[in-house]
Amino acid sequence: MAQTAITPQGKIYPPTNWKTWLGVAPFFIFAILFLFLPSLRLFTASFTDPEGNFTLNNIIQLFSEKYIVDAYKLSIQISAVTALGGGILGFLLAYSVTVGGLPKSLRSILITFSGVASNFAGVPLAFAFVATIGRQGFMTHILRDYFGMDIYEAGFNLYSFAGLSLVYMYFQFPLMVLIMAPALDGLKKEWREAAENLGASTAQYWLKVAMPVLLPSILGAMILLFGNAFGAYATAYALTGGRIGVVTIQIGAQIRGDVLYNPGLGYAMAIGMVVIMAISLAGYSWLQAKTERWLK
Amino acid sequence: MAYLSISKVTKQFGDTVVVDNFNLDIEKGEFVSFLGPSGCGKTTTLRMVAGFELPTSGQIFLDGVDITDKSPNQRNVGMIFQSYALFPNMTVEQNIGFGLTVRKLEKDVIKQRVDEMVRLIHLEKHAHKYPYQLSGGQQQRVSLARALANRPQVLLLDEPLSALDAKIRVSLRSEIRAIQKSLGITAIFVTHDQEEALSISDRIVVMNVGEMEQVGTPFEIYNFPKTRFVANFVGSLNTAEAQVLDPANGLLTMDGIQLQTHEGIIGKKKGDKVTFAIRPERFSFVAEGKKENLLEGTVINITFLGSVVRIQMQIGNSTFNMDTFNRPSLELPKIGEKCQVTCSTKAVLILEG
Repeated sequence: MAQTAITPQGKIYPPTNWKTWLGVAPFFIFAILFLFLPSLRLFTASFTDPEGNFTLNNIIQLFSEKYIVDAYKLSIQISAVTALGGGILGFLLAYSVTVGGLPKSLRSILITFSGVASNFAGVPLAFAFVATIGRQGFMTHILRDYFGMDIYEAGFNLYSFAGLSLVYMYFQFPLMVLIMAPALDGLKKEWREAAENLGASTAQYWLKVAMPVLLPSILGAMILLFGNAFGAYATAYALTGGRIGVVTIQIGAQIRGDVLYNPGLGYAMAIGMVVIMAISLAGYSWLQAKTERWLK
Repeated sequence: MAYLSISKVTKQFGDTVVVDNFNLDIEKGEFVSFLGPSGCGKTTTLRMVAGFELPTSGQIFLDGVDITDKSPNQRNVGMIFQSYALFPNMTVEQNIGFGLTVRKLEKDVIKQRVDEMVRLIHLEKHAHKYPYQLSGGQQQRVSLARALANRPQVLLLDEPLSALDAKIRVSLRSEIRAIQKSLGITAIFVTHDQEEALSISDRIVVMNVGEMEQVGTPFEIYNFPKTRFVANFVGSLNTAEAQVLDPANGLLTMDGIQLQTHEGIIGKKKGDKVTFAIRPERFSFVAEGKKENLLEGTVINITFLGSVVRIQMQIGNSTFNMDTFNRPSLELPKIGEKCQVTCSTKAVLILEG
């Protein structure tokens, strides 16, 4: 028979009814079918050669093959650049519409835009950028024909590292806005007033109170942005057609490629990504927990 | 000039006048409470002294210096907030030392002052804890120590006890008062709790819709309220209308019952209507030989309030409450019975406004 649980704080919880679990059953079934089982398959397959025999060769190649190491480096670079750029831009925008004192109407517009833009990725996003600042893009023409600015002559290329970073920024900074706006709202007016009352300048308040309180959230959000960019595939593929060899594109090439075909290696590369993403998420969770502990 | 002088201060938000022509002089070491309902302007006045709001007109002087336009960090004024406002990323020690750190005092001076403050609030064992590890009462004591560490000229307390439970409230207010007295610091305490204001203050400023209704000692405010608002806001009170019979001798009539006041009624003539008030505890059952202020009424209800018994009576066309101490030998009338009660001439207060 199920027993009533009493917490150390003396709160009494009724015994958990099996019917209560029915509500979360679809989630668990979904997670088992589409997360745990594929992950397990990914893990086992990464230790298998094309003939189906056990091998450690795939894992060894992750560290020995130059193009694989370069792919990881490139993915980490793009993710870091867009996490930093998107993070700074997103933070400044979130600051402006929360504690910055801009009109409230602007805040709701920005938050709505951010909600949409942070989920706007893949082929439609790539096409949108090709159509605007591609070689024959709308904005490229306007800048060249009306302002005499040929951005491609000046060295810009949408299908390069810089171009891909710019496209990623489109969904990176709105995500930062969405994460940072509530964190900035959490800064109590009284903290600022107390700091001022104790003799602190605005800079001292930000340096000693606001930033230390916000820093875990900022870093946590940037880690999330990093993971967000690191896992992106469709946008990069649709934009560059595989010319920029980020990890996700290399995995695709190994699993279903014509030239490169070694599914076991592809799975091993995916395991490498899972490890990097897991580290990122663990860092995010740790930083979030630190902030929540302070603010409870 | 007084130590803190608030002179003809008015504050408007748009067209709304929140504080209207506020004048108050506070002496060094005095503990003054601003008492009033929500929206009466007490917190706004306090925030003007702190520098968080600028007066629309008027001036504020502290120790002879005009601080009206000084920014909050240029005034040596300490403030305690209702929500404690402790910095969550700092320990108790760091919070207390914050003001000293930003003022760039030497490290050993900061350490010495912080230790002194931690001892003052009896939180030596909690000095390395973060605010989230402390109870509400402990957090507010840290907030007090943080404000005092800077050795402010004036301490401002904005409803500092409102978020605490009743027991802690009573003990902490005594602690605040004891610390204020021992340091001799000038303090302004904002509250809407009359008991708090009466128990802790040297003087009380009762405020209503942005104006000062009455300024006085707790004794004066409770026993001699000048306006109907003060009389009703502070303590419970019986009020009724009466006609002046003899202004020079302070004689009134209410539904044919004569009432005698202690002094003559100034500014009124025979036949004028006045509002008078009598505190419930000023009534007593009639003793033999008593002749003045005899009131006969019918008992409507009797309520036990622990140490006090409240007897509700119909006297004339008005309802009056009488409070008497509860004791085992108390003989109470029955509901519906007629009984006579009396009060002294000093108990009958004529109210203005």
